[in-house]
Amino acid sequence: MWGLVAEQAAVRGGRVSAADVCAAVVPGAAVTGAWLSAAFDGQAGHLMQVTDEVGRRLADLQLTFGEGPLLDASASGGPVLASDLADGDSGARWPAFAPAACRAGAAAVFAFPLVVGAIRAGVLGLYRDRPGPLSDFQLGDALVFADTATMLLLDAQDRAAAGAGPGDGPGGQPAGLASRRAEIDQATGMLTEQLGVSITNAFVRLRAYAYVNDLQLSDVAGDIVARRLRLVPDPDLSLGDEA
Amino acid sequence: MNGHLLSATFVELTDTMVADFDIIDFLHVLTSRSVELLNVSAAGLLLADPRGELRVVAASSEAARLLELFQLQSDQGPCLDCFRSGRPVAATDLSADPRWSQFAAAAGQAGFFAVQALPMRLRDQVIGALNLFRDTVGPFDTEVEHVGQALADVATISLLHDRSMRRTDTLNEQLQTALNSRVVIEQAKGKLAERLGIDVNQAFTLLRDQARNRNQRLSDLARAFVEGTQDMTGPVGGSAGTSRSRTRQPRTGPRPAP
Repeated sequence: MWGLVAEQAAVRGGRVSAADVCAAVVPGAAVTGAWLSAAFDGQAGHLMQVTDEVGRRLADLQLTFGEGPLLDASASGGPVLASDLADGDSGARWPAFAPAACRAGAAAVFAFPLVVGAIRAGVLGLYRDRPGPLSDFQLGDALVFADTATMLLLDAQDRAAAGAGPGDGPGGQPAGLASRRAEIDQATGMLTEQLGVSITNAFVRLRAYAYVNDLQLSDVAGDIVARRLRLVPDPDLSLGDEA
Repeated sequence: MNGHLLSATFVELTDTMVADFDIIDFLHVLTSRSVELLNVSAAGLLLADPRGELRVVAASSEAARLLELFQLQSDQGPCLDCFRSGRPVAATDLSADPRWSQFAAAAGQAGFFAVQALPMRLRDQVIGALNLFRDTVGPFDTEVEHVGQALADVATISLLHDRSMRRTDTLNEQLQTALNSRVVIEQAKGKLAERLGIDVNQAFTLLRDQARNRNQRLSDLARAFVEGTQDMTGPVGGSAGTSRSRTRQPRTGPRPAP
């Protein structure tokens, strides 16, 4: 799957970014189009990438009406899967968005929040021009694409803020993708207090520390939770809300 | 089995399933009661993530070591076998069981020697498993298996509370939301543990108690605390050690942050 994303970057001739996920997920999850909005300072809605005009229109419609699957996904922290926008469920959920989206050429919309717990990086939207649910396999793939986009967005935010990011993990993948251990999340929470930073920046610092010291993320997290390791606020690194 | 405790547990669980209940809090209560009712040492619930692995969503103790032991089973163990087969899987003496050497060694180190996994089934789909650990060897009696299965079924139903059950979409939405809430709670546990110099298990108890005192959902409080929009206070009168929880009252309306 990482190969599909990297391929898009190669076609584009640039460094792998969240925008490439948007292009790669379309064949990957067998959808018609995709769009990606990035969140900055906890505010969603900055449209970063669209694969076609219908995607752009769907993003616009949600901003216009203030309702839609991506806004709901952002709010709940879980995906919103509307496999038939013309059915009663969708009509009741989004009385303005659902019919307008159908007129724009979408029959199904699937929204994935780009989140790690309370960390919000953005939202990934997928649409199909025919109704029908994602298969279990396609849903699993879409979730992995969403994870990848999340890590790439967090890397990009960090590079933009500090001029240097935690860089890439093995094989050019963003660090921290494979690990899903409670200790990583606990350590991130602990770092918000140790460093006096937001949860987003705490996660960036945790990953940066592992990368710079060539350690596994889960090992660093384990040491922090066991209180064998403390990180100190870095006065040279201006990170978003620390500035 | 204690019949009074059994009926009290089902009353408590159904009482908790009010309109706006917190799924993680609910499943934590369910695993805690499983330990008392079924006379086991620890209980955990694992849900199948469509990404292709089992993930811990609740456990009778929030101690990091126990959570890790449950999580180990995303690679091998009775939970994984139970999930794949859709049938109960038991090991009455883990040290002599050849099926999962890595898991058995880790369980033995933590002091567990017998294990049972019961499937969470929804129609023809298996969505996860309830996992019971015991610190002594020997078989689990059939009553334990039957009541344990009933508790696993209640856990399954609780995941489908929000909207109509006929949509597969709904189940997947709820499942992912629950898994992300779990991450938010881990982040909040870490933040509170660091602030107060307590361990993560105590931090969980404190978070849960304060959510109840404020008549707020656990996940909402955890998120607000992590985002810095709501603060937490230290334990009052040793409430962080409370093991039995009160039944949550239905929420009457949003409360202003203190």
